[in-house]
Amino acid sequence: MKKHHILLLLLTLCISLIVSPLGAFAASSSSSSASSSSSQVTTTDDSLQRIKQKGTLVVGTSADYPPYEFTTKDHGKTKYVGFEMDMARQFAKDLGVKLVIKNMDFDSLLVALETGKVDCVIAGMNATPERKKSVDFSNSYYTGHSYMLVNKSDQAEFKKLSDYKGKTIGAQNGTTQYTMAKDDIPGAKVKGLAKLSQLVIGLQSHKVDAVMADAATAKAYAENNSNLAAIKVPMNTKVPGTAMAFHKGDNSLRAAANQTIANVQQKDLINKKYLPAAASHMKSYKKQNTVLSYWRYFTKGVEYTLIITVLSVFFGFILGTLFALMRLSKNKLLHSIAVCYIEFLRGTPMMVQIMFVYFGIGAIIQSMPALIAGIIAVSLNSGAYVAEIIRSGIQSIPLGQTEAARSLGMSKKTTFQEVIMPQALKNIWPALGNELITLLKDSSLVSVIGVGELMYETQLVQSATYKGVLPLFITMLIYFVLTFTLSRILLHFERKMKYAH
Amino acid sequence: MPTKMIEVKDLQKKFKDNIVLKNISEHVNQGQVICVIGPSGAGKSTFLRCLNGLEQPTSGQVLFEGQELVGLSDKALDHIRQKMGMVFQGFNLFPNMSVLKNIMIAPIKVKGTNEEQAKSTAMKLLKQVGLADKADQYPDQLSGGQKQRVAIARALAMDPQVMLFDEPTSALDPEMVDEVLKVMRDLAASGMTMVVVTHEMGFAKEVADQIWFMADGYIQETGKPEDFFAHPTSPRAQEFLKKILK
Repeated sequence: MKKHHILLLLLTLCISLIVSPLGAFAASSSSSSASSSSSQVTTTDDSLQRIKQKGTLVVGTSADYPPYEFTTKDHGKTKYVGFEMDMARQFAKDLGVKLVIKNMDFDSLLVALETGKVDCVIAGMNATPERKKSVDFSNSYYTGHSYMLVNKSDQAEFKKLSDYKGKTIGAQNGTTQYTMAKDDIPGAKVKGLAKLSQLVIGLQSHKVDAVMADAATAKAYAENNSNLAAIKVPMNTKVPGTAMAFHKGDNSLRAAANQTIANVQQKDLINKKYLPAAASHMKSYKKQNTVLSYWRYFTKGVEYTLIITVLSVFFGFILGTLFALMRLSKNKLLHSIAVCYIEFLRGTPMMVQIMFVYFGIGAIIQSMPALIAGIIAVSLNSGAYVAEIIRSGIQSIPLGQTEAARSLGMSKKTTFQEVIMPQALKNIWPALGNELITLLKDSSLVSVIGVGELMYETQLVQSATYKGVLPLFITMLIYFVLTFTLSRILLHFERKMKYAH
Repeated sequence: MPTKMIEVKDLQKKFKDNIVLKNISEHVNQGQVICVIGPSGAGKSTFLRCLNGLEQPTSGQVLFEGQELVGLSDKALDHIRQKMGMVFQGFNLFPNMSVLKNIMIAPIKVKGTNEEQAKSTAMKLLKQVGLADKADQYPDQLSGGQKQRVAIARALAMDPQVMLFDEPTSALDPEMVDEVLKVMRDLAASGMTMVVVTHEMGFAKEVADQIWFMADGYIQETGKPEDFFAHPTSPRAQEFLKKILK
């Protein structure tokens, strides 16, 4: 009975972890309209003070957008450069705090801002009226046009707006260019992807015919890749100015940003200093920009992939055992809780679960790093599968084994630990191994929330080298080496267990 | 006065609508060897399993050394089971452990006996059942008769006060029955209290202090083997004996 109580407690904890963000969402969405209006009137805004107190400014960006923001390597470490990153550094300096940059998909940035994962977004973001509904913008500091990036061989085909009819145009999800391509280019199909670098790969392999991007960015790509050309679009592509985005109501922080922006504009730092610096970064790594020179990215990725895998296997196994026992329990409540957990976790995509844990539970526990969120999500998911594997293993052991053990005076627990589980483990070893290998591969999904595991690092290499296929190929080989080694190790233990028989 | 080791009062067991045991009241004295015989489906195995709580009776009482077993907590029942060894028709050895480990595990895990002590006891018991040379083998490598002898040694390792045998020779090839019966005979001679569900009439006749004849969920009659086999009183027993002794 005591054991049941503990199980129940644990379970309540798990469930509340899953359910409470839902409540928080509901609460925040219902009160947001009220609070935003009231905050301006009554509540004093402490956003600036808060940043100064914690001593860090967390800036969200999507660093595949040269010359706005992109990555370069500095002694093997990722360094975020670009004129907006220089502005971010200036902003943090003016505030007297440390700058922390979080690199993620462009379309995740606003969610990250709303859920408090970042303090502000500096990502070549245009201050459109739609976005103004959910966030506050600083004054604009840069106005750009949009360009089309096309394969040089096709350059002649695109002259008039009507030339784009029936063509596929790629644009980054959530960007102004995406909306523009969709609304203002008649007859064109629009394909949206999370990363510009992926779109450029798509362009080179003719999956899309043109990629619409900011002028400066498009030109940067064309300069770094002799097969590509950046061309003007025959229409008015002027977009609302680029600005920093803040959480609604963070007025004091926004005012501080406007101060920094005013200083920068007064000295014309963007054109005189930041853009030339960005250009030199792009040139400098163009020289020695081979994929293999980024090997440190891959090793770091492997390291994190292994950390995620090992920890998730560990917690997944514990959860799996727990839920398998609950499912086999005679207690109807425990049984049905376990069934719900298993069915729900198996019945929803892992990618959604990862984002839900990061943005959902992360909205409550603000300080939860993406790595932890990723491990929690992967463990929870794996736990559901492991639970079913273990259940089948336990059920495969004849009842006589339990009876013999119990007749010798062994308790339920001892019987399970000493007699049932060792035999079950041997029976389910191949299935567990399968799950382990799947988990190692699926850990790549954690890249969507910006954890620096192998897939994420690969994307960094892709955007840094302007090469799409080679980094993927290398990563594929690395995954294969990892899984193949793992399956050999598992086989070794399987044989060992057989001989011990 | 002989002391009552096991006592059963108004024991009843139902599986859904099927009544398997109907109001059984009997007792086993210390040092007695009881052989429970009868046609299959009589409820013999269910009865035996009620004695150590592997089955929970629907109603009635089971007392071990005066203590009520029905409705006891798991933990208290675990404690009592240490004193009641059981041997199964299907051996139920632990296939993932060596013969030696099979015998050592319960003393170590349940009683907290140290490894060395458990090992020397296990070796002594293996000698007693004539399998000292098989200590490091695994159950898969043994014949049925050998497996059952290991199972007996495993139960004896807990130093029980009574041994329950559930058709210990029914799953064996005929040529292996004797080696198991010999071990049981020796055990009976050493004064062990035993309740044996069996079809081995020769063994029952020779070793039992009392025969309990079960049919249709009742103990139809009890008696000394020489009386029972010569003059069965109940019609069911007469019918049964006529069939097997033919």
